Amino acid sequence: MTTFEANPEQPRLVEDNYLNHTRGLWSWLFTLDHKRIGVMYLIAVLSAFFVAGVLALLVRTQLLTPGGTIMNQQEYNQAFTLHGGIMVFLVIIPSIPAALGNFVLPIMLGAKDVAFPRLNLMSFWLWIIGALFFVGALVTGGLDTGWTFYTPYSVDSRPEVGSMGGVIPAVTGAFILGFASIFTGMNFIVTIHRLRPPGMTWFRMPLFLWGIYATAILQVIATPVLGITLALLAVERAFGIGIFDPTLGGDPVLYQHFFWFYSHPAVYIMILPGMAIISDLIAVHSHRHIFGYRFIAYSSIAIALFSFLVWGHHMFTSGQSALVNVIFSAITFSVAIPSAIKVFNWLATMYKGSISWNTPMLYAMGFIFIFTIGGLTGLHLGTLATDVHLHDTYFVVAHFHYVMMGSALIAMIGGLHHWWPKITGRMYNENWGRLGFALVFIGFNVTFFSQFMLGSQGMPRRYATYPEDAGFQIYHIFSTAGSYILAIGFFVTAGYLAQSIFGGRRAPANPWGGRSLEWQCSSPPPYNNFSEPPTVGDCYDFSVLEWKSEEEGYVWRSDVARPEEESPAGA
Amino acid sequence: MIQSLLEPIIMSTLAEATEATGKTFWMPEAASSVAGQIDWILEFINVICYVFLFLVTAVLVWFAVKYRRKPGEHAINDEGPTHGLALELTWTLIPTGLVVAIFWVGMVGYIDLRESPEDSYEVSVTGQQWFWTFNHPQYGVIQSNELHVPLNRPVRLIMGSTDVLHSLFVPAFRVKQDLVPGRYSTLWFKAIKAGSYQLYCTEYCGKDHSKMLATVHVLPEDEFQETMGKFAREYEDLPDNDLPVYALTRLYNRCSSCHSLDGTNSTGPTFKGLWDRVQNGDTVFTDGTTLKDYMGDGGEYEVPENYIRESILNPGKLIRENYANVMPNNFASQLKPRQVEALVLMMKNLDKLTDEGWVGEDGKVQTPEQPAVDSSASAGPGMTEEGG
Repeated sequence: MTTFEANPEQPRLVEDNYLNHTRGLWSWLFTLDHKRIGVMYLIAVLSAFFVAGVLALLVRTQLLTPGGTIMNQQEYNQAFTLHGGIMVFLVIIPSIPAALGNFVLPIMLGAKDVAFPRLNLMSFWLWIIGALFFVGALVTGGLDTGWTFYTPYSVDSRPEVGSMGGVIPAVTGAFILGFASIFTGMNFIVTIHRLRPPGMTWFRMPLFLWGIYATAILQVIATPVLGITLALLAVERAFGIGIFDPTLGGDPVLYQHFFWFYSHPAVYIMILPGMAIISDLIAVHSHRHIFGYRFIAYSSIAIALFSFLVWGHHMFTSGQSALVNVIFSAITFSVAIPSAIKVFNWLATMYKGSISWNTPMLYAMGFIFIFTIGGLTGLHLGTLATDVHLHDTYFVVAHFHYVMMGSALIAMIGGLHHWWPKITGRMYNENWGRLGFALVFIGFNVTFFSQFMLGSQGMPRRYATYPEDAGFQIYHIFSTAGSYILAIGFFVTAGYLAQSIFGGRRAPANPWGGRSLEWQCSSPPPYNNFSEPPTVGDCYDFSVLEWKSEEEGYVWRSDVARPEEESPAGA
Repeated sequence: MIQSLLEPIIMSTLAEATEATGKTFWMPEAASSVAGQIDWILEFINVICYVFLFLVTAVLVWFAVKYRRKPGEHAINDEGPTHGLALELTWTLIPTGLVVAIFWVGMVGYIDLRESPEDSYEVSVTGQQWFWTFNHPQYGVIQSNELHVPLNRPVRLIMGSTDVLHSLFVPAFRVKQDLVPGRYSTLWFKAIKAGSYQLYCTEYCGKDHSKMLATVHVLPEDEFQETMGKFAREYEDLPDNDLPVYALTRLYNRCSSCHSLDGTNSTGPTFKGLWDRVQNGDTVFTDGTTLKDYMGDGGEYEVPENYIRESILNPGKLIRENYANVMPNNFASQLKPRQVEALVLMMKNLDKLTDEGWVGEDGKVQTPEQPAVDSSASAGPGMTEEGG
């Protein structure tokens, strides 16, 4: 049954793999295999991404003209609320850790599975239940609070002027999704601590694992605060306990503190795994040892820690005292440094490399450009004097789309291409891949760069219509045109990836020349990943690999000793 | 260290940057005393951003082209350095110094933005779904969706909300502050350029959030005094005959976010044809009664005008079928008796009114629908309110 493929010198097709090990729908839905759970998460997340993307196109279409085109005020408010809610809670937060991380993390560790496979399956099912609650929010009256659920609007259930009826189902859904996220994080922390193979010290881990580890800490520590906050919100709305509602003596700004105490770290739950993917993509596709390993690893941890101390920068105009604002502004700038360190180290990694212009690397390079803009525009928003003008305008919208969409999701799509051969056992068409990237990259920048000007010129967020004489329309036209290009890019991508499953060339074990352990088992991996825990060396030392043309992939150089024989002093 | 080096340069530049300027690539027209300073800080950050974005992109493209692995090649060029402490320290310390400088100028500019001068002219602001009320206690003037302020005099807004969060934002002044129900917040500005500027609500406040707009009119001191004086007595001095037109042009904008003039029903019923419906008594309420039940001899609304008056001052008393009890009940404190009278007259004569005056001869029998009313109605409460 087990055809263990730890030796890429003699590659052969492994007939038994995780995809065909057992058959039938049941064997998927209740599998404990981290790879299948990862694939199911991937399908679920991409489905939600499709829904949220359609909503985004509706929003962009509405804003083509000052008076709106296709929706009335309330429909527009629902469209942007659902777009935001679905993208944050159902797509970006689970995308990299729960989908790609689930698939790759145990294999990178040479383990058979995560530490708690049943908890992993439960996480997936909680995601499904959470998603159903979001659907329930639509059925029970719609949701128009914005994804932030700000009080007192969200606890005001009066018809016409209050929020729509779906608030309690939606926050219940977000509450449940929070547990899905906590379970994934706990699982990964324990897995990384306990299941590393012999020889893999902390500083020999692929940087992807460092990023996922930092993310998991945030998921476990920050998410409960969101759970408590949303539970209080639901109770406030249902029974009027008077914690957030000012007419009952509550404090609506307290909600904002609670909410951002989670949701700022949540921003890093979204971007840290993206950075983690990029660290590995740059190294593997440049065939160069990562530059400044420890600095990149420590910067992930630094970002995770700082991210707990900066939530107040979302509230510079909400009525906080000037002193508190000054303190939060100062701490906010501290997060800029580790992010900058990562960018410089990625660039240094490319120096003297052998840089492949394939799709994953193009996404990685696109990420560096987009993330640089996203990070730099954070300076305008962390600066008190300029944030007062820019707060709650399209400048903020553009900034966080550059980080969450242009960075986190672009990294996810780059990672999807990187591990696609491993996941499906098939190669996609590289030329279509480059075309898809070009459309996504151009479409993204046209859509969101114009929103920086829109915002700094004064266009507020969450507006279904806007004044005709303010000069906003030209930017909106650019932005909407860009969103259509972006959509075409994603359809092209979905098309060639789907095609590759049926008609793609069979993938070798190691198509890119990666050194981490997932490239040492066959594509797709066998059910058990490895029959015995492999030992590892420096996962960024690519000099031990060479191209083998019969295999169309990279194999271990015949004249170099395998890591099993390496002395353990190589760290 | 870096602060002490940069501070004199920054401060001297900031002192000069107080001129009103036109629209730039990044920023809208600058019309307040702080705008020049804020724009300077923004451009200062921009320069740093341009330099870094250029450097990162140039190095990225340069390496990507120079070290490109050609298709069909499979080289492993694992030769370059893998770490370098000096390099890491360089690219840690330089950005650290820069962000400290950015933080510092941002903080200095912000403190100027928060500390209002002591001799400020004060206006009370109320944010309400979905309109603004500006109260000038010094003149006894209450304005709605329009705010007149003096030129070159600091103005301090004391702001509150009666329902949900709102936020007052005037891009040309570079100021913004949330209105929080249950407490007051403040904001100040000194307008340095006469003109009209758009005011937005920037905190999402429900269905018609994007219609919660107002205009700030900056007037030279003498004109400001004159206008306030005029507003303070305009409805008292007006001949009765002009009252409906006054209501349409000066009061209706407080109703316009919920009550249309063109027949479309939104949050509240349209005003079009309202008087006919009242006279016929066929309005149905949520409790199943109709207006007729209250109208006969000795009835509460034997005089139908009383129904309109009551609906303005005590709107929760009778709620029309298919509508909710959501109209603010604080108009009694905002409207003088003569203003209520003006509104009642406006509704009675709506089909004979335009923003410019009466249509046709005064006192004639009701004429069929006048197209002029419709067009002016849709222009009246739209995005750009008529200036006072």
